[in-house]
Order: sequence, then C-alpha cells, then structure tokens
Amino acid sequence: MAIDRQAALAHEDAVLEYATGQVREIPGARIIGEARHKTGVLSFVLEGVHPHDAGTILDQQGVAVRTGQHCAQPVMDCYRITATIRASLGIYNTREDIDVLVSALDKVRAVFA
Amino acid sequence: MSELTDLYQEVILDHNRRPRNFRTIEAPSHHAEGYNPLCGDRLNLYVQVSGDTITDVAFEGSGCAISKASASLMTDALKGKTVSEANSLFERFHKVVTTPPDQPVEDLGKLSVLAGVREFPVRVKCASLAWHTLKAALDREQIASTE
Repeated sequence: MAIDRQAALAHEDAVLEYATGQVREIPGARIIGEARHKTGVLSFVLEGVHPHDAGTILDQQGVAVRTGQHCAQPVMDCYRITATIRASLGIYNTREDIDVLVSALDKVRAVFA
Repeated sequence: MSELTDLYQEVILDHNRRPRNFRTIEAPSHHAEGYNPLCGDRLNLYVQVSGDTITDVAFEGSGCAISKASASLMTDALKGKTVSEANSLFERFHKVVTTPPDQPVEDLGKLSVLAGVREFPVRVKCASLAWHTLKAALDREQIASTE
C-alpha cells in the first residue's frame, strides 16, 4: 500500500502540534527549538532533572526517547544547556502516545520532586 | 518498576540534591577532569594528599543524578584513606558496578547503593565517571574520558 506523502506530513504536523502544546503545559518544561516548519521532533528540558535520568525513567514506562547532546554540542552551548530529551514523532505515532509520554513525564517529575 | 526504585534510591536522590564536597580546592596536590563525551557530563576532581593520606577531596561539574551522587558518595568515602586504599576501592567499586545483576557483589557500605546501575548497562558509565577521574588524578593524568 502506498503512503500518501502529504497525508503523512500533515499527520506528523498535527501530532507535533499537539505534543508541543502538551509538553509546554508541564511545569518546569522548556522546549528547545521552535522553528515554525520543523519536522516531527520535540526537544525539551525539565527543570531540576537531567535528561539521562528522565530517559531511563521514561524507558521503564515503555516510552523511547533520545537523550543527550544529539551530536550537537555547539547548539547545546548556544542554549546554555548540557543535554535535552527528544521525542521523535512519525506517521505511526498518535495523540494517545503523547498522552502516555506526558503521564510518564509526571512520574519523572515525581521521582525528582 | 522495582529496578527503577533500586536505581533511584533515596540516598542517591539526596546526594543529587545536596552533593557533599561540591566545591573546589585551591592548589590541590592532585586534580583531573572527567568527561563523558557521549552525554556531556563533566566534572573536576580535586584531591589533597598529605604524606600518603587523602586529607581532602572535592568536586564540581554537571551531570545526571547518578554521576553526581556517585561523585558525592566517593568524596565522602575517600577522606582519610591512603592512596593505595583509594586505588583498591576504585577496583572494588568498578567490580561492583560491572558484575552482572544476577551475581552477588561485595558490600561496599554506602557505595553499594550504586549497584543498582547493573540493571541499566547504559548508566554504568555515569556511576564510574568520578572513579575514573580519581584514578586519573592519582596517576597524574589530566583528563579521564569514558570513551
């Protein structure tokens, strides 16, 4: 079955927009990189939590994210951060996945409260 | 989630929140910088050795809860030890965090809280960064890298 490229991009955009709104609501969360026409990646930091600790706790809840510098040290320096948490969204992701991510992040915040 | 509770024990969370000996030492007898290029964790370790005894240890830097707590616990454990005791503790700690989780390990007192990283192979380097930096400092190498 062929995948409609425009539909795929539109889906990714919609999930990204939803995810961006949800993560922005999390106390202490700061989104890194907010270009208007970026692809389905959502990089962010959580105040008081190192991204690697967040990654381990998300992983234990079945949520796979990438954490660290993403081979982009100069960008980290630019934003004055050491690392980020990055969720990558694809055509297979849904709003429900984002809800799971957000509630898993609540658990991360609870560990470090 | 029990592995997670083993990893983020209260002692580790406490040392992350309030790291002990988190400061610099002016003109220390030994110093090294530890760096994990994969995650960006970086720490400076200062060791004051008088005669053959470690009289003071301090660190500063940024890292995850595991690396910060490990460095904090290490500095507490080293004060008053001789250099050879410190080297031996490095070897013993390294063994504890790299032994497969289904096998028994030596009890290293407070340091044993870090044995939980065995369930998370990717985090072993976080726990051992401070110790590799100690080894570099005592061997008078300037930089310790986990890569």
